[in-house]
Amino acid sequence: MRDSTGFIAATFTKYLTDKALVSQQHVLELTEDLVIKEFEKGATVLSEGQICHHVFFVESGLLRLFSIDDDGKEHVLQFAPENWFISDRGSVFFNQPSHFFIDCVEDSRVVLLDQAFFERASNLSPEFRNYNEYLLQNHIRHLQNRIDLLIGAQAEKRYLDFVHLYPDVLMRVPQWMVASYLGITPESLSRVRKELAKRNSK
Amino acid sequence: MKTKDVEKVVAPQRPHYVGDGFRVHNFIPGIPGMDMQRMDPFIMLDYNSKFHFPPSARPKGVGVHPHRGFETVTIAYKGRIEHGDSSGGGGVIGEGDVQWMTAGAGILHKEFHETNFSKEGGEFQMVQLWVNLPAKDKMTMPKYQGLLKDSIPSHQLENGMGSVEVIAGEYNGVKGGASTFSPLHMYNLKLKAGGNATLSFPAHYNSLLLVIEGRIKVNDQDVVSTDHLALFKNEGEHFSVQAEEDAVVLVLGGEPLNESIAAHGPFVMNTRQEIMQAMEDYNLGKFGYLEG
Repeated sequence: MRDSTGFIAATFTKYLTDKALVSQQHVLELTEDLVIKEFEKGATVLSEGQICHHVFFVESGLLRLFSIDDDGKEHVLQFAPENWFISDRGSVFFNQPSHFFIDCVEDSRVVLLDQAFFERASNLSPEFRNYNEYLLQNHIRHLQNRIDLLIGAQAEKRYLDFVHLYPDVLMRVPQWMVASYLGITPESLSRVRKELAKRNSK
Repeated sequence: MKTKDVEKVVAPQRPHYVGDGFRVHNFIPGIPGMDMQRMDPFIMLDYNSKFHFPPSARPKGVGVHPHRGFETVTIAYKGRIEHGDSSGGGGVIGEGDVQWMTAGAGILHKEFHETNFSKEGGEFQMVQLWVNLPAKDKMTMPKYQGLLKDSIPSHQLENGMGSVEVIAGEYNGVKGGASTFSPLHMYNLKLKAGGNATLSFPAHYNSLLLVIEGRIKVNDQDVVSTDHLALFKNEGEHFSVQAEEDAVVLVLGGEPLNESIAAHGPFVMNTRQEIMQAMEDYNLGKFGYLEG
């Protein structure tokens, strides 16, 4: 399935070339039989209890990873716009049922990468192996930072960290989803934004 | 003077919802060959073809969202829309009215079905266009031009066969109600069955028409049905529109700005850096605040 640019996965191809610095030859080998799926807004990609078999790379659109607590309330752990990976890595790697859900906040086009892909790519390309390790380390750094903010930081600091990490997500998702990600109420998010506007707008 | 021929006639594509209140067919920039650069200064065209919204206690629409770098033009054909913005502006536009909002440096706004319309439900039909701003005017102060139906100047065609309502630009000496930042023409052409009109835009203007009601024939050869759009070649000047049924046609012609375009979501600027700046400014509250 090719997209409008004629590539099977133009964004992922560019990602491998520009970010991971994988050689042209290896990029060709790695992208020739990719599995791509298109999902409509609202579609669920992973449900609690399922084993997650893939890491999803977002070609276009926007996905989110969330849990649902005993009261039925959703808690957003991660957003994934274009160029992001999203998955329950624990479920993929340890082959365990997931505690999470992944769904599409917008119509999305996604590359499905299984464990075998990562093994094959790492064996084939040292650049990919290095970059993949960098990504994992970066992910851990990000998660530690996020835990720290959730435990101790004021709502405004969490918000500023969020917009720095996701510059365009605020205008693509409902406010309650952002509030959920920040671990605050939608009313608190409104207050934070109102305060910032008061300080920053002329 | 040469005839301006139709390049292609485009059928409406599968509709999608903007918020929950606007069920639109996107023509610009979604149709292949009708991207922003090709259609400039008309960089977005969403068309809510006639659609019956059932009564709803909660007005449907689009919540607070930002814009920077262009103008939004909303033309209401059926139904009523209420809007509000971060500079304190707001109001209702109804059938035949046009709202011309210059987002410029940045505005937050929201658009909903007007409360009573929402409660009663009914036919809804409108066009929303984004008109690009020249680089030098992208950061102009936001402003509104509300053009009420009765205040839109019009030219009456011969034998009472119809009229050309001039929203912007000029037709046969009749000047439009809206002021614009670059040369463009925007008309609602209303024709009775059998009536016809001759129009003329400079060859290099990006030109198109959208049939809101009825069926027309352009240049005696291309039939364009309801909800279909005709894109003209950038050659020749004159074209004729003949109504095969009573028709309402939105006609657009504009001089391309020929500047680079960087677009992301609700921001249309000239460079990638300006887009990043717009996102940052929005995130940090520099567009002001508007209650959802």
